[in-house]
Amino acid sequence: MTDTLLSFKDVEIVYKVGNMSIRATTGASFDVPRGAIVGLVGESGCGKTTLARAVTRVIADNAHIAHGQILFDGIDLVSLSDRDMNALRWRDIAFIPQSAMNSLDPVYTVEYQLHEVLRGRGGLSRIDARKRSKELFELVGIETNRLSDFPHQFSGGMRQRVAIALALALNPKLIIADEPVTALDVIVQRQILDQLRDLQQKLGISVILVTHDISVVAYICDRTVVMYAGQVMESSDTRAVLNEPYHPYTMGLKNAFPDIKSAGTGLLTPIEGSPPDLANPPPGCRFAPRCPFAEAICRAENPQPREIQPQHIVACHRSQEALQLRTEASKYETWQQIP
Amino acid sequence: MLKLVSNGIRSGFRSLRLPVGDPFAVAGLAIYATFLLAAIFADYIAPFDPTEILYSKDFTLAADLPPGTDGHILGTTSLGRDIFSQIVFGTRSALLVGASAAFMVALIGSIVGLLSGYFGGWVDIVLMRLADIAFGIPFLPFVIVLAAFLEPSIWNVVFAMALVLWRDTARVIRSQVLTLRSRGYVEAARVCGSSDLKIIWRHITPNILPLSFLYGSIAIGWAILTEASISFLGFGDPEAISWGYMLQDAFASQALSRQAYYWFVPPGVAIILVVSAGFFISRGYEAILFPKLDR
Amino acid sequence: MTQFKAAGGRFLQLLLVLWAVITILFLLFRLMPGSPMAAYIDPTFTVEQQQALMAQFGLDKPLWSQYLSYLGNLLQGEMGQSFRYKTPVSDRIWALLPNTLILTFTSLIIAYAFGILAGAYLAWRRGSMVEKLSLPAVLTTRAMPEFWLGMVLLAIFSFWLGWFPAGGTRTPGTDYTGFWDLYTSGDFIAHLTLPAATLAIYSQGLPLLLMRSNMLDVMKEDFVTMARVKGLSNWTVVVRHAARNALLPVMTSFAISVGYQLQGNVVVETVFSWPGLGRELVTAVAASDYPLAQGAFLMIAVVVILMNLIADLLYTFLDPRVSHA
Repeated sequence: MTDTLLSFKDVEIVYKVGNMSIRATTGASFDVPRGAIVGLVGESGCGKTTLARAVTRVIADNAHIAHGQILFDGIDLVSLSDRDMNALRWRDIAFIPQSAMNSLDPVYTVEYQLHEVLRGRGGLSRIDARKRSKELFELVGIETNRLSDFPHQFSGGMRQRVAIALALALNPKLIIADEPVTALDVIVQRQILDQLRDLQQKLGISVILVTHDISVVAYICDRTVVMYAGQVMESSDTRAVLNEPYHPYTMGLKNAFPDIKSAGTGLLTPIEGSPPDLANPPPGCRFAPRCPFAEAICRAENPQPREIQPQHIVACHRSQEALQLRTEASKYETWQQIP
Repeated sequence: MLKLVSNGIRSGFRSLRLPVGDPFAVAGLAIYATFLLAAIFADYIAPFDPTEILYSKDFTLAADLPPGTDGHILGTTSLGRDIFSQIVFGTRSALLVGASAAFMVALIGSIVGLLSGYFGGWVDIVLMRLADIAFGIPFLPFVIVLAAFLEPSIWNVVFAMALVLWRDTARVIRSQVLTLRSRGYVEAARVCGSSDLKIIWRHITPNILPLSFLYGSIAIGWAILTEASISFLGFGDPEAISWGYMLQDAFASQALSRQAYYWFVPPGVAIILVVSAGFFISRGYEAILFPKLDR
Repeated sequence: MTQFKAAGGRFLQLLLVLWAVITILFLLFRLMPGSPMAAYIDPTFTVEQQQALMAQFGLDKPLWSQYLSYLGNLLQGEMGQSFRYKTPVSDRIWALLPNTLILTFTSLIIAYAFGILAGAYLAWRRGSMVEKLSLPAVLTTRAMPEFWLGMVLLAIFSFWLGWFPAGGTRTPGTDYTGFWDLYTSGDFIAHLTLPAATLAIYSQGLPLLLMRSNMLDVMKEDFVTMARVKGLSNWTVVVRHAARNALLPVMTSFAISVGYQLQGNVVVETVFSWPGLGRELVTAVAASDYPLAQGAFLMIAVVVILMNLIADLLYTFLDPRVSHA
């Protein structure tokens, strides 16, 4: 019986662009268990970052959460007052951005930016903040004498460690990591991911890891949520999602990425076509136009998410035939014959 | 149907790269158009000869008449000249100075920037040191000295601007050319063996043209303000009626202490209108050039 | 350390520009048509008398030798004798410089204080009615001829309302014993108000527009979003992070504005009969007092060039990305 820290319930986020409404996410539901790393994976523009950012409620000016709940420790963040929401920020919910270069203020030293959080948000004294800053730098493996350096004086990997240190500063319950390693080279990626997992396990933090890279998910995540065009297509244990996918999109996604463990023996198979226009989505399943297995019902009716195995949720009309589809999907030709 | 026509006109303007999307820019263009018409048809619009000394019906000098008397819309000067007619004729020298100075500044600045940015090396070093020197010359004092030595003429301002103010345009164009030069299609054209001249003409010039227009439209304002300052200080052409000359006349004739607002306010307003029209248009260009600014 | 090296390079460049401007100035005054002394040579002078006068000002020597002695004299701070006053030009220039600098800095400090605050406010209130009305108004102040604005203020506040004196730096007949005595007197400040207000109104547009557009850019930066995600207060986000970053280029522009302002002073000082370098330049040129005109021009040029250098250095030292490279 896992204890749930965060729970998305039917979340819909709408962007207003001109006089158009664009639903960045619709009916998004999934849980983040306590002490687990949940991977949120999908192509760029699928709404994964928007959904993750919604937890902090710092989203674009033209976006708003139109529907649903985000339960954090049983509290609905969507209906929380600004004041109460702000109290949770960083103390309970921290964030690791994609590019630490741009997310650290260039005109202040790293120590200043740590102190800003430790003293301003954590209420620590100057002396305690100094001690804690050193502690945090040791934790992420940076020499403490570099605290007085400016962000631009660090290398890319180091900056990402600084960002992790910042996120850990107030012992949060949840960290949202938005493509935390995408900008780094593969070797540094692995170091940062290892460290993130170490610290997460040691400190018992829950992590939402947003990424487009399924190999990162495979490497580090306990659970995986696959998103496509603003909707959750499949979510389960990472092992189950990767080894026994029920959704054709997950199958396709797996084919399109090299395996981080078995260094790329198979052929990479791209999914043909591009995601639908969210301002004007197709009537049925959103993946249907690119799906090699799409049938009449798929184009007519949007499949509802169903629990196909315990803790394994899939939104596909043909999930019953998954066994057969998996065999088909592993063939290169299958993906070439999309109408 | 009407919409179709207006769209047609609109796209016609687009191809000229005139900033018609921005309401400010449209207002600016409208102001320009009005003043242009006033300059062309000045002889028909102005009720009096702006330099003629006028007399009232009782044969006294028509001096310092308040607005509205005897058909003098804006009144008369201390020497009995019609202020409204002077404003109308002042449009000519303002637009002449503005347009020619802007043209010179944009032309010289663009050419220097192009050469400097495209060829680099010693060409760049020499031209940019020259720009540094031009930045070290105090502009208005320079125009004053030049205007004092040369025959009084409205062209002194144009000449001085051409000598000094190319610097701003040149620097901006240069950096633009530097980024353009590293773009894929320019590299490609170079690898394919296109001549420098052809690359500059075909690939680079079209891309810096809006920037030249931007700096040109700002230079119009600068030129008119400078001409006004020079005339105000008494180094202008006494033969040419300009708004700056009118202000000098008013200032020297104690119009301020006599509260003769009708005399010295209209020329200032005319200058503000033309110069801000230039700003509004350049803002429109900026919106085209830097769409990320949104507004 | 590198920024000191860069500063050294910039200093050499400054010397080059200064030399070039001095040379241009020299040529401008010598190569122009007509004898520079024409206005001061009485037609009744004999040829000998004329030549003696020319020799007195060193105008009988060949051009290159005049140039060398001109440069040599300048190095010693010597700018020749004024034709009109028959006193050393340098004395006069140094006496007028404080008036010009006080006027320039007073107006610019006011303009920048206002412009920075208003610019940040307009960026924050982006898209509001206030912003829509303010921006054209600000552009209009940039489109005004400075001297015209001065004339309007003069007509209203001096001639009509009688609140401020019409010109000069002090009421005739008043006497001040020392430098500080004069510049801190209420009388001086009353005289300073209108010209300083004129220049301030004209100058506030640049810092305002710069601050606003920088703020808008910076507000889109990730670190500002992150500051919000961190739950920092609005004040910290807007002032400590957004404004602090947006301020950098505005501070740099201050130095450049000093240079531009000095040129604008030429007309405003004339309107308010403010005894400064600009007005002196105008009267000297009008009276064909070339040594004095040359001296005033040179002093203005030196300040302009110096301010361009300071602008560069300011940027180098204020931005940690450059200073801690």
